[in-house]
Amino acid sequence: MRKSQGTWGLQWLLRMSTEKQDTLLKMVILSVAAILAFSTRLFSVLRFESVIHEFDPYFNYRTTRFLAEEGFYNFHNWFDDRAWYPLGRIIGGTIYPGLMVTSAFIYHVMNYFHLTIDVRNVCVFLAPLFSSFTTLVTFYFTRELKDASAGLVAAAMLSIVPGYISRSVAGSYDNEGIAIFCMLLTYTLWIKAVKTGSIFWGSLCALAYFYMVSSWGGYVFLINLIPLHVLMLMFTGRFSHRIYVAYSTVYCLGTILSMQISFVGFQPVQSSEHMAALGVFGLCQIHAFVDYLRSKMSSDHFNILFRSLVLLVGSIAFGAAAVATALGKIAPWTGRFYSLLDPSYAKNNIPIIASVSEHQPTTWSSFYFDLQLLMFLFPVGLYYCFQKLTDANIFIIMYGVTSIYFAGVMVRLMLVLAPVMCVLGGIGMSAVLTTYMKNLDNPLKKEKKAAKKIESNYPLKNEIATCVVIMMTAFLMFYTYHCTWVTSEAYSSPSIVLSARGGDGSRIIFDDFREAYYWLRHNTPEDAKVMSWWDYGYQITAMANRTILVDNNTWNKWMYSAMASPEEKAYEIMRELDVGYVLVIFGGLTGYSSDDINKFLWMVRIGGSTDRGSHIKEWDYYTPQGEFRVDKEGSPTLLNCLMYKMCYYRFGSVYTEGGKPTGYDRVRNTEIGNKDFELDVLEEAYTTEHWLVRIYKVKDLDNRGA
Amino acid sequence: MKSLIVICVLMHLAFCKTNTDAIDKNIVNAKIERKIDISSHLVKTSTSVTLENKGTSSVRSFLFSIEPLLKNSIAYVGATSKDDKEKLDVSPTTVSGHSDKTFYRVTLRSALDAGKTTIVDVEAIFSHVLRPYPSEIAQAEKQLVVLEANLYFYSPYPTTSQTTTVITTSSNVESYTKTKPVSQSDTSIIYGPYEDKAAFSEAPLKVHEENNSPFLTVTSMERVVEVSHWGNIAVEEHIDMTHTGASLKGSFSRFDYQRQQDGMASIKTFKTSLPASARDVYYRDEIGNISTSHMREMDESVEVELRPRFPLFGGWKTRYFLGYNVPSYEYLFFKDDHYALKLRFIDHIYDDMVVDKMQLRIILPEGVKNIELKIPFDVKRQGDQVHYTYLDTLGRPVVVLNKNNLVEQHIQDFELHYTFQRLLLLQEPLLVVGAFYLLFLVVIIYVRLDFAITKDEAKESRMRVAGFIDEVQNAHDRRSALYQSYDDAINKFKSNKDAAAFSAGRKKIDADYKQLTQQIQNIQAQLKAEGAEASEKVAELQRLDSLYKEQIGLAIMSAEKLVSGKMGRQQYLDAEAATSSKCDDTYKKMESLRSTL
Repeated sequence: MRKSQGTWGLQWLLRMSTEKQDTLLKMVILSVAAILAFSTRLFSVLRFESVIHEFDPYFNYRTTRFLAEEGFYNFHNWFDDRAWYPLGRIIGGTIYPGLMVTSAFIYHVMNYFHLTIDVRNVCVFLAPLFSSFTTLVTFYFTRELKDASAGLVAAAMLSIVPGYISRSVAGSYDNEGIAIFCMLLTYTLWIKAVKTGSIFWGSLCALAYFYMVSSWGGYVFLINLIPLHVLMLMFTGRFSHRIYVAYSTVYCLGTILSMQISFVGFQPVQSSEHMAALGVFGLCQIHAFVDYLRSKMSSDHFNILFRSLVLLVGSIAFGAAAVATALGKIAPWTGRFYSLLDPSYAKNNIPIIASVSEHQPTTWSSFYFDLQLLMFLFPVGLYYCFQKLTDANIFIIMYGVTSIYFAGVMVRLMLVLAPVMCVLGGIGMSAVLTTYMKNLDNPLKKEKKAAKKIESNYPLKNEIATCVVIMMTAFLMFYTYHCTWVTSEAYSSPSIVLSARGGDGSRIIFDDFREAYYWLRHNTPEDAKVMSWWDYGYQITAMANRTILVDNNTWNKWMYSAMASPEEKAYEIMRELDVGYVLVIFGGLTGYSSDDINKFLWMVRIGGSTDRGSHIKEWDYYTPQGEFRVDKEGSPTLLNCLMYKMCYYRFGSVYTEGGKPTGYDRVRNTEIGNKDFELDVLEEAYTTEHWLVRIYKVKDLDNRGA
Repeated sequence: MKSLIVICVLMHLAFCKTNTDAIDKNIVNAKIERKIDISSHLVKTSTSVTLENKGTSSVRSFLFSIEPLLKNSIAYVGATSKDDKEKLDVSPTTVSGHSDKTFYRVTLRSALDAGKTTIVDVEAIFSHVLRPYPSEIAQAEKQLVVLEANLYFYSPYPTTSQTTTVITTSSNVESYTKTKPVSQSDTSIIYGPYEDKAAFSEAPLKVHEENNSPFLTVTSMERVVEVSHWGNIAVEEHIDMTHTGASLKGSFSRFDYQRQQDGMASIKTFKTSLPASARDVYYRDEIGNISTSHMREMDESVEVELRPRFPLFGGWKTRYFLGYNVPSYEYLFFKDDHYALKLRFIDHIYDDMVVDKMQLRIILPEGVKNIELKIPFDVKRQGDQVHYTYLDTLGRPVVVLNKNNLVEQHIQDFELHYTFQRLLLLQEPLLVVGAFYLLFLVVIIYVRLDFAITKDEAKESRMRVAGFIDEVQNAHDRRSALYQSYDDAINKFKSNKDAAAFSAGRKKIDADYKQLTQQIQNIQAQLKAEGAEASEKVAELQRLDSLYKEQIGLAIMSAEKLVSGKMGRQQYLDAEAATSSKCDDTYKKMESLRSTL
């Protein structure tokens, strides 16, 4: 050869056929995105340790361990006497087992090959692993909707989107971690089924749906979205045999499969949340039948028949639904569902639902915080979808619009919104870039086209294109920075270990929760019952291995009235419930603001809403001015209730801050009102180093005649 | 606890070589100086025994017996001779007629001749002898303990003269047995001298004192040693601990604990010494890392200051795992296929430690055979087990050893001899290599072979076209190389002016060139048959090539003219410049065409 061009590596790449280059690039980008998705979620493991986070994951971890050790049948029949004392809990029938089965499966496969990884590590790393899978699925999903390049952009965006990371960092071992993967897989297969109209893809979609049902309660969103898509296709006159085959297969198989999960049971045919799917299934049959008739009859005859049929079927369906609801065959609309449609519903009616911060409406800032650039690319993506409507595009539009509504209602549904934001953002970004990249002057082609004149109707074509491309690149870079920053600052603390900056900038670790749980585990009787605010229920069962009264799947509500009552009244309730120890979280010494005093009003409300706690009136705990305060001005009811006493027992003599009197509460920034008191029915059993957790022992009854 | 110790002693007896001895009537304890140290939570007695042989024959050994009150608590007995400070052999034994008593036979270094005396220091450590009294105390109270023992030296031989010193923790002694002569000074109570006591004489000795030293007991521990022939030994200890002092009465007040620094009997931290080469030390428990620990590296050891998650008061328990790695060259020795592991049976946990129950598990590499154990004291060896971990196929043999009631004096090396074929080291890397090889092979096969039941014509045609294009590109590359050969030949011809050689070389190149051009022509025909648009591009390539060839022809002609003198120098240079610029142009075009094929 005369001249060698470029370096060896580049030449080698250029010498490959474009198809090969394409495949190679795609594989490299996808695998980098998948690896990134995994590794960006490891902040907390590197910074702290490989530990399960938060509250719910501890329950999942405990059940997974049980499943891995005892096998599926024992798990299915497991009656857990550690939870919901005195009732106990049938675990097999009250959870979605998909998560546990997945981890136990991975655990057993690994151990079969003698890769001795323990259950805890499988659990910790499951969510990042499934995030990698989600990245791959997003690529296929977007490719089905638009093209491969949009898929790549969407996959890369999804791998670091904070809205999804918030629920899937290492250690956050929760249903959502795998559910998002299942959801996108189901959507991908659904789109495939709609496009091909084949029973094969429909059945695969039903299987994916089954996996989704087994892993998260959010499947209800999915079983409403798919019928909505079909309905929309009917309205727009796009209904065809392909859609008939796809939907009939998915619905029939999917419903039967989902009923195999014992927690779901007969809900798919009884509860109102699933009725839309059933209704659309019926409509499909009618639509197909009508199409058949239309093809066989003259149009006049057909019109008469059509009108009478519509009237008849409509009235029968309405009557049947009314009768079923009246007879209670269709389950009443549950609170969570109402709160989806009406954000104020739960707050007004069910205090226990409203007390969960995840169920609060989303603020604007958290939209930006969790999605950043995607907020602005979302409409761009929608625009490109509308520009070229297809059956599949209608689906993603429906998904985007509905999920943005739900995410606005409930913070935790941000999780459902994040993937569709990425998909639409990917479509938008890729379309913009493809459009403008074409307008760039190609340096390779320059020689040939130098002679040609610049098109007069588009001045500065190259310059504008360059600007747009540079701008988009900058946006993408800012997006990456933002996502990494959010992940590392906001979503990577295990919440079981707290850390703070000391005066000299060094890191102080508060490990008080585990200190207390470990104390309970080793220094209380095996069958002791522990009473606490429900957040800590799962952690106590998992780490302290003790029986609890309430947990995050709350059942027993009137024990909260004990916390809000004065001592004697509380003692009665505690004796009745056989409580051995009471655990409270107290931040007054360290300034940890989410402690039990700040949650106390919820306890008052929940306790007061039960008939056993009817003596508790929320207003008794406020000052006459309507304030909630713990200092001298505070209401005497508050200053003498059990919770106050447990939190502030002997705190009145502690100096917390220089220049302040003793008993100065650093969370509420006041000196406490009632300093000097003794406990009659409880005794301090243990208080952790930073006073974060205080455990009290309920005294036995006095000896008779003593 | 008591029954456990009984069982352990029974096992101890059952597994030892049960010697039987007789009491030699000729031996007399001429002088006994006994020290009972109760300043920690252990009872350490050290007795200086002056033996006198009153018989006629020489004596090789003597018997040391444990008093009935303490015989269930004995953890360790050791003896040294006073003269040369050498360790003497001590082994448990029985004496017929005294089956209710515990005896140890101490073998002297040299036989004790008739009428001679010798001095032997016997050390004995007892655990769980000091009883907290009262057994429950409040957080601020001090801990008091009671010692109950034998006032006299309990010996199978008559004792001529003896003194006993009890060393107490402090001068704060509540009460003590006042059998005269007795005197109390600062931290010691001295009994005796008592003269002429018969064999096995007993009298109560009771001391009630304040003792706030940590009553920390390891109730059970498991030490796992995993040996790797790749240079590492991993050690992990699972330790269950209890504060066995007076238990806490009433509530625990964090306020008092922080402000008044009371709770003297509680345990906040303790220090563990690890081998100096210990690396990657971790300290955790069932629920994660314990963040409160400090490590200090010193010359002879690594000192870890362990702080349990919560301070231990009387009766409180905790459990933790401590693990570290040490390089194997310090502990593993080999010659050919024979290996020897020399490691401590138990390591330091805290000062004056007591371990009630211990299991040592030594995990050896896969393929180890002929395991032999040498150990300085008696242990119970369970049957070997098999352990599976990363990349194991047959499993690793595990040697399991059990021993009860251990104290600091048991920190001694054991030796484990075994054979191992060094080639087996390669087994696991080869396994990984094989697995990946297989994986790639499967992928290669899957990608190359067509498993479809239906035939996709379009796809196959595309693939054939791709193949042809590849061939064209190859052929063209070779042809471009020939252009260079033409140039070289011309230049050579110009310099040596050898027309014959030139025409011969030219013919050869011509032949190659023709062949390649023909080949491309054929492929072009085939491409046309496939209906691919590439065929037109190939045709264009051929056209450009013929243009190029033409220029080469011209260059050759003018070169020949130059050599034969039919053309002037300047004229030739002009002609050459013209052809070469044309050549360059065509070449560029061809290259760009080639890459877009």
